[in-house]
Amino acid sequence: MLEKIWHFMLFRFMRARKALEKIADLLGPAHFTEDMLLLLLDGMGLMFLISRRYRKNIEGFEGKYVFRSVDGSFAVSATFRNGKMKVKRGELDGPNITVNFKNSHALMNFLFSPKPDVLGAMLNQDVVLDGNLNYLYKFAYMANHVRLKGPELLEG
Amino acid sequence: MGLVTLKDIRLKEYGLGDRELLKGLRDSAVRAKPEVCIERARYITRYYKDNPEGGEPAIVRYAKAVNHFLSNKEPLFFDGNLLAGTTTSKYFGAPVYPEFTGMTIWPELDTISARDKNPLKLSEEDAQMLNLDIYPYWMEMNVLEKTREKYKNPAPMKLFERIVFFLASKAGCISHTVPCYRAVLEKGLDGLLAEASKKEKAVRGKGTLSNEEQSSLAFYQAARIALEGIKNYAWSLSKKAAELASKERDPGKKANYEAMAAVCARVPARPARSFREAVNALWIAQVAVHAENINMAISPGRLDQILYPYYKKDIDNGTLTVKEAIDLVGCLWLKLNDNTNLVPETAEELFGGAGTVPAVTVGGVDVNGKDAVNDLTYVMLRVTELFKTRDPSMNARYHYEENSREYRDRVAEVIVNTKSVPAFHNDVVDIDVLGKHGATLEHARDYAVIGCVELASAGRSYDASSSIMLNLVSVLELALYNGRRPVTGDEVISFESGDPASFTGFEMFRDAFQKQLAWVIDKAVDLNNMFGTVYQEILPTPLLSALFEGPMESGKDLIFGGALYNASGATHIGFADTVDSLNAVEKAVFIDKICTFAELQQALKADFKGHEKLHAWLVNKAPKYGTADPVAVRNSQALVAYLHQLYQGRENYRGGKYRPGFWSMTNHAGQGKLSGALPNGRMASRVFASGITPASQAAAEVDACLKAVGGLPNDCIPGGEALNLKYPRVDAGDPEDIKKFGSAVEAYFQSGGLHVQFNIMSYDMLIDAKKNPDKYPELLVRVSGYSAYFKDLNDAMKDEIITRTAYDVRTGKREEFPEEHRDMLPFEPA
Repeated sequence: MLEKIWHFMLFRFMRARKALEKIADLLGPAHFTEDMLLLLLDGMGLMFLISRRYRKNIEGFEGKYVFRSVDGSFAVSATFRNGKMKVKRGELDGPNITVNFKNSHALMNFLFSPKPDVLGAMLNQDVVLDGNLNYLYKFAYMANHVRLKGPELLEG
Repeated sequence: MGLVTLKDIRLKEYGLGDRELLKGLRDSAVRAKPEVCIERARYITRYYKDNPEGGEPAIVRYAKAVNHFLSNKEPLFFDGNLLAGTTTSKYFGAPVYPEFTGMTIWPELDTISARDKNPLKLSEEDAQMLNLDIYPYWMEMNVLEKTREKYKNPAPMKLFERIVFFLASKAGCISHTVPCYRAVLEKGLDGLLAEASKKEKAVRGKGTLSNEEQSSLAFYQAARIALEGIKNYAWSLSKKAAELASKERDPGKKANYEAMAAVCARVPARPARSFREAVNALWIAQVAVHAENINMAISPGRLDQILYPYYKKDIDNGTLTVKEAIDLVGCLWLKLNDNTNLVPETAEELFGGAGTVPAVTVGGVDVNGKDAVNDLTYVMLRVTELFKTRDPSMNARYHYEENSREYRDRVAEVIVNTKSVPAFHNDVVDIDVLGKHGATLEHARDYAVIGCVELASAGRSYDASSSIMLNLVSVLELALYNGRRPVTGDEVISFESGDPASFTGFEMFRDAFQKQLAWVIDKAVDLNNMFGTVYQEILPTPLLSALFEGPMESGKDLIFGGALYNASGATHIGFADTVDSLNAVEKAVFIDKICTFAELQQALKADFKGHEKLHAWLVNKAPKYGTADPVAVRNSQALVAYLHQLYQGRENYRGGKYRPGFWSMTNHAGQGKLSGALPNGRMASRVFASGITPASQAAAEVDACLKAVGGLPNDCIPGGEALNLKYPRVDAGDPEDIKKFGSAVEAYFQSGGLHVQFNIMSYDMLIDAKKNPDKYPELLVRVSGYSAYFKDLNDAMKDEIITRTAYDVRTGKREEFPEEHRDMLPFEPA
């Protein structure tokens, strides 16, 4: 049952992408992208709260991430500490890695790709990284994992 | 022919059909699906966690970790192979090296088993161990991040991480070299251990030690510890084989287990006495090198020379037959295929389909300059002909003054029958090139091929031949767009070398190009030297060092310059497209004034849309490398010489020079997809020509093509070159065809070419293979240095191989590309 709900949510989410992009055009892409990113990261943070299995990924892990556009029009940060994930608008000091997206479109493509691909995004120059790549690999694993194994994680 | 006693050098009476053992083993190996193996990562990580950094030198700590792994490595016997030892704990495994590049698959742990390109099976349990236990330990500790930390995220690293300018493989490994396995066979590990102990004792005896002497002491200790690990692994294999023999009821299998138990009880600890002991000792040494170093192009070297004394002795005393020798060589070939690289899916775009490229070299001359071809050379050629497997990467040296025509034509015949292997190497030029770069004549004559096409004085020269892979087209674009590239947008990447629209002569553009080239090379070299320094601090290579000439004498690890010779290799992507673009600029803008530079820039930005007339001129009239056009000849030769001058002006972290080469693996396809339209008429996002090969369809006749490549200043190419040629039809049964084939190679070698490799396949066949991969499951092709199964390549790479110019072997004329598929050509609109 959980699996069906999860897949339904994913399907609706993907289908809504084009509509969301149209709204973005109306509201201003940068603000919208920032809100979308906050929403997704908050969703991830929520999973860490409710799933013990998923939370194992951040036990003992400390890391600071900044996701921003190259032109600075949007920026969101995530901090992992004491088994918790905190998300906030704007940048923070001393990140382990800063992920610079070429523009809002590049970020949306990355977020909504059926197969988010760090190296592929680097190769296509959609993102420029500054910092320890292993932190992004870990983050990408956690994001993919929750996308693929959401229902199992909820059961766990 | 003094060393050749075989009545039939083709060994026709030995086929696969009547060889149940080899046929079965070979079919299973080719069908096997790769699996991720975490065994090594688990042991090494556990050791490091349990033994935190403390007072002991990094080299000793790493040697202890390697020893820990080898001593605990599971002895496995998957099938009826006659040789004991496996690279991984899987039948066909991809080992994880978290301290090098193994963490790049972290994002794919849930999907790698089912990914589209070259999936690798990974159990959920192993994935979780990587995710929760192994990878977290290495997050700050792998070579890349240690370098970033030490040098404060330096500019060259940021450029490297853009991926589209150069790749620095030192981020991932100590690799691409040829160890001295001869020493293992002749002295045994006990002999090497005794040497290390003696040296260690001598250093200790000096009393108060200088820093250098302390380093030597640590090196000898580390070498001893690592070598003991190999002995422990061999002993585990022996015990397990004996145990299996005691339980086995099938008399044939029981005898094989018993033989392996006896072999591993003897070697590699002690000197090999028989061919079987020698082959198995060599294989265990190769497994052990991969316990310490990543599985990329660690090449066994001149196996027909190293193993020949054991073969001859056994044949002469009647304890070995040719049939048994074929079985043992066949088993070794399959063992060399038992592992593959672990790369993320995106990297398949750049290195798609590659195996681990352990190069085997046969033929050529001996250290005295005399014909070294022997019966074992022909045994190895026969096994290669029968197996048609991706690895080992087979290379045949040919000395046109010393080796026989029979040998030359036999190599040609094997190429025709396998459709692609081995590659041909020119002994005369290769030896001369190595000699001009510091090797003694004897050492140069004893060269072997590393990985794809690179040259090394086997077991003496640490060349790290794949340290830099530099995209020449990226440099050309920096010159065309005043320090920028279309793929990286408006950002000034290097420096503004001037808007070419303002240039009043070709020399100004060439000058801008050369300055950009020097800038990018400086960054690549700087970064490689930083990586090398970090290796010296955290991950030396004592086990590999113990299997080289030099380190044991000097007390210096390879990574500190202990080998007799030291170099770092830099290869280049997009050579032909860059040269042809320089030609086009010179001719179209400045000589014939077909267009202004501004008009050319507009055409490039528009991918020639609306500029069809200019495009047609550039494709059909501009001078092309691969022809006798003087502009093309001058520009191609000048670029090779300039690169050599730049690299030889730089020293690596071991005191050696940088050596340029021209081979591109599959990078010319991957990087081509990320590049804009070029002045030579190549459209945006299309593949580049491979290695040192002229662009598709550029040369109308094979003779002109071979003369152009052979005419390059070969003494400026110490890093090796890959020339790819395609013949659609050669009849192996027709002596005339084989003779023509061999003669063309010989003429090319006499004109100065270093290397050539072939695909014996037509445009139509390859197009069909792309369309119907299931019809060609084992179609083996030469890529740009290495071999791959065609089905494993990405589409861009398949297109590049399809569109390579095909020549008629009899007339030497170019064959027409199928009209209905012309949109595949890089200069035709899609």
